[in-house]
Amino acid sequence: MASLKKDETVSLAEAAVKFALKHGADEAEAFAYQGFTTAVSIERGQITKSSRIIDQGLGVRTVVNKAVGFSYTNIVGSKETIEEVVIKSLKSAWASKPDKDWQGFPHKKPYANVRGTFDSAICELSPEDLVKLSSLMLEAAEKTDERVFPIEGGIGASYLSRAIVNSNGVTCFDCGTIIECSLATVAHESGEVTPVCFEFNAERIYKIDPEWVGREAARLAALALRAKRVESRGMDVIFAHFALQQLLYYTLMNAVKADYVQRNQSAFKGKIGEKVASEVVTIYDDGLLEGGLRTWKFDGEGVPQQKTVIIEKGVLRNFIYDNYTAKKEGKESTGNAFRAGYLSTPNVETTNFHFKVGKKSSEELIGEVDEGLLVYSLQGAHSSNPASGEFSVVATPAWKIEKGRIVHPVKGAMLAGNVFEILKNVADLANNERKIGSLVAPWVHVENVNVIGK
Amino acid sequence: MRDALAKVVNVAVDKFGAEYAEVRAQKLFKTMLTIKEERVEAVKEGIENGAAIRVLVNGAWGFASSYSLGVKTLVEAASEACRMAKVASQKLRNPIKLAENKAFEDEVSAKPKKDPSKIPIEDKLRVTSTIAETVLGYDKRVKSCTVDYLDLVGTSYFLNNESSYIEQDKLHVWSRILVTAKEGDVFTFSREEVGSTNGFEVFDIEAPEVVGEKVAKRAVGQLKAKPPKGGTFPVVLGSNVVGVFVHEAFGHLAEADLTLSGSVLMNKLGKKVASEVVTIYDDGTIEGAFGSFKYDDEGIPAQKTLLVRDGVVVGLMHNRETAQKFNAKPTGNARAEDFRVEPIIRMRNTFLAPKDHSLEELIEGIKFGYYFKSFRGGQANLDGTFQVGIQEGYEIVKGEIGEPVRNASISGNTLETLHKVDAVGKDFELWPGRCGKGQTAFVCDGGPHIRVKEVLVGGIS
Repeated sequence: MASLKKDETVSLAEAAVKFALKHGADEAEAFAYQGFTTAVSIERGQITKSSRIIDQGLGVRTVVNKAVGFSYTNIVGSKETIEEVVIKSLKSAWASKPDKDWQGFPHKKPYANVRGTFDSAICELSPEDLVKLSSLMLEAAEKTDERVFPIEGGIGASYLSRAIVNSNGVTCFDCGTIIECSLATVAHESGEVTPVCFEFNAERIYKIDPEWVGREAARLAALALRAKRVESRGMDVIFAHFALQQLLYYTLMNAVKADYVQRNQSAFKGKIGEKVASEVVTIYDDGLLEGGLRTWKFDGEGVPQQKTVIIEKGVLRNFIYDNYTAKKEGKESTGNAFRAGYLSTPNVETTNFHFKVGKKSSEELIGEVDEGLLVYSLQGAHSSNPASGEFSVVATPAWKIEKGRIVHPVKGAMLAGNVFEILKNVADLANNERKIGSLVAPWVHVENVNVIGK
Repeated sequence: MRDALAKVVNVAVDKFGAEYAEVRAQKLFKTMLTIKEERVEAVKEGIENGAAIRVLVNGAWGFASSYSLGVKTLVEAASEACRMAKVASQKLRNPIKLAENKAFEDEVSAKPKKDPSKIPIEDKLRVTSTIAETVLGYDKRVKSCTVDYLDLVGTSYFLNNESSYIEQDKLHVWSRILVTAKEGDVFTFSREEVGSTNGFEVFDIEAPEVVGEKVAKRAVGQLKAKPPKGGTFPVVLGSNVVGVFVHEAFGHLAEADLTLSGSVLMNKLGKKVASEVVTIYDDGTIEGAFGSFKYDDEGIPAQKTLLVRDGVVVGLMHNRETAQKFNAKPTGNARAEDFRVEPIIRMRNTFLAPKDHSLEELIEGIKFGYYFKSFRGGQANLDGTFQVGIQEGYEIVKGEIGEPVRNASISGNTLETLHKVDAVGKDFELWPGRCGKGQTAFVCDGGPHIRVKEVLVGGIS
């Protein structure tokens, strides 16, 4: 699948660093990336499209007198283009302003072995194979309920590789695979349309279940028909995987980033060692989690990824750092520098944000709720206040729970509150852990959430 | 470039059996800056050259992207795209057809007064640093300020097997300012965007000092704000909130691909979906606006598309595929973020048309309600449920604007809410932004102030 081999990728990055040092950089770092994706798309009930996307490029950071410049290119075929990108990076550094807190690129450290992140079976999948898998998913949805219409979805299989070289001795290469299938559905019945229901399955190895995704996406849509409004009041809410990811992505996951803390944008500033959540909440940022969607040997600066305890039995233990924010506090990076391919400089980001699971099944969790909502997805979570954690969102699709049983789907219910209060009100967690983006978590039962119904 | 692209399209049609073939090539150059407080994080520049080939074979789409503009690589990509299409067509039930289109040959050049590619980095740093300094100097309670800057210049080339060939300059200048303020345990957050398809001269109009003060003032003003009451209230929405409401709550439902997927606008063409004071356009032709362009990424001229006239749905936003299904004309809404992805239906500059009320007239009859002036995020669902977050809002008490409220949001059903719009202002403003639908598109949205008889406000009950 790869057009550039490991040695070629690394030597591309090495050449850029060497050229930068020769032309006046105090320090230099090169990030070489390539990605291959084969995908099959479903649109409005049928497979309509297949695509192959290749992307590759080189991003070069140079430092002159503590001023940082960056340039990237997606043309990496010749010596001239590599030299051109380095010169552009240097020119950017010359034009930029010195950063008094700049303390250099990271130094070399040993890498741990990561497991379950590469599977040659994914590289070998042909578009024909992906069409077959997509058909299985689509047919499973259609068989489940005739009121359901699959609106979009598909399967994508990707191979990614990355190499980082810097002038402090870091030279590293890692490659991985990912396969993902998804289906979005709506159900129609006598003029009523449900909200979009969605299911997906993403793995680093070739072990996905498209039929389950199809069935589940259809089942949810059928169950979302005949939704009713609820009264406004405080009640228990079970956040299912997607809803939890949406709620935390714009709030809690930012609050634990060192740059947010250092820049006074985090409500957690100065609260290490304090109780910030209910005792049942333990969260790790685990960059080495077996098969994790964000598991790699090293982060976007070549620092080994690691497992960092964030909240332990409700007590805030650590923040996550890249090299810059760590050095500013005299600490070591936690391996949380994230890069969006070769197009950007690194930012502090969570890897696999891993909640410790509870003991109960999802049914048992529902069984404990006297009156409340089961919320599958949130609309408008990105409008949360990222600094204060305050949110005001729509729960959709969602279901009403009464006396331990799901009684009907809910429409138009808003949830409003503060995510840091939510953390303190977590009553229990289920044992049904899943991977959703950077979140790895089960369903979470929260007491007394403010619901605005009508 | 034209000969190379023509060769690729010919190969796709003659050798690999494509019914339709198009190739889009781009040469883009980007400059980016990020300022965090007084710190310049990095000055960034990048080149993105590449091409995308899209074909229809046996009624199914095939797509391949290439990072090289060499003929040999492009021909390989064309072969790959045709193979992908054949594979996809195996299970096809309803073959895809495209609406007829006139062929266009054109060369569109950008004519900026201040070409961003000729402005020295030092000047770009000066503008962004001035914004940051203004924000931080506004008040001691301002704790952080992030200024992002992007300019993008280049050319895109479009050629298809129906004799269209379009060379079109791309030019975008954009900046976003994020500010937080803190007092005691209260955190507030404020953001503002600047965007234009003219040149760097946008900062002559949007002066850095003015933009900086506006966004800092809002963050500080919200510190003493209280949470709103939850429940149903009459509201007056400012132009900025009307824009995001029209875009998110209505616009997405009127994107014909989403309409076909079963949005609440399905089967609503020609029907009344709003009160008669509501008229909505999506317009790709507004000079200099962030969502404007001459041709879309299927080679169709952009136009001013009327979506709702006096409360009645009269049009949808189309690409060639959905136009064929609706027996309509393509509207020039097919846009691709770059050569890595295929064009999909996107909005351009979407707005509600102004009428006759002053802000005072909109507010005067309200005993208790809210004035929501500026938004923070919004999202809609196919069933018509929308949510718009508010970053600047005030109580309305006895016909007058009262105390500020923070972290409010409004929600409801789009069509029910559009029916409850009972008065439309005479002011008008457009706001630049970026819309996400798998890909990012530069857009504007806006309108005048409006009054809504009642809407659900998310707050503390």
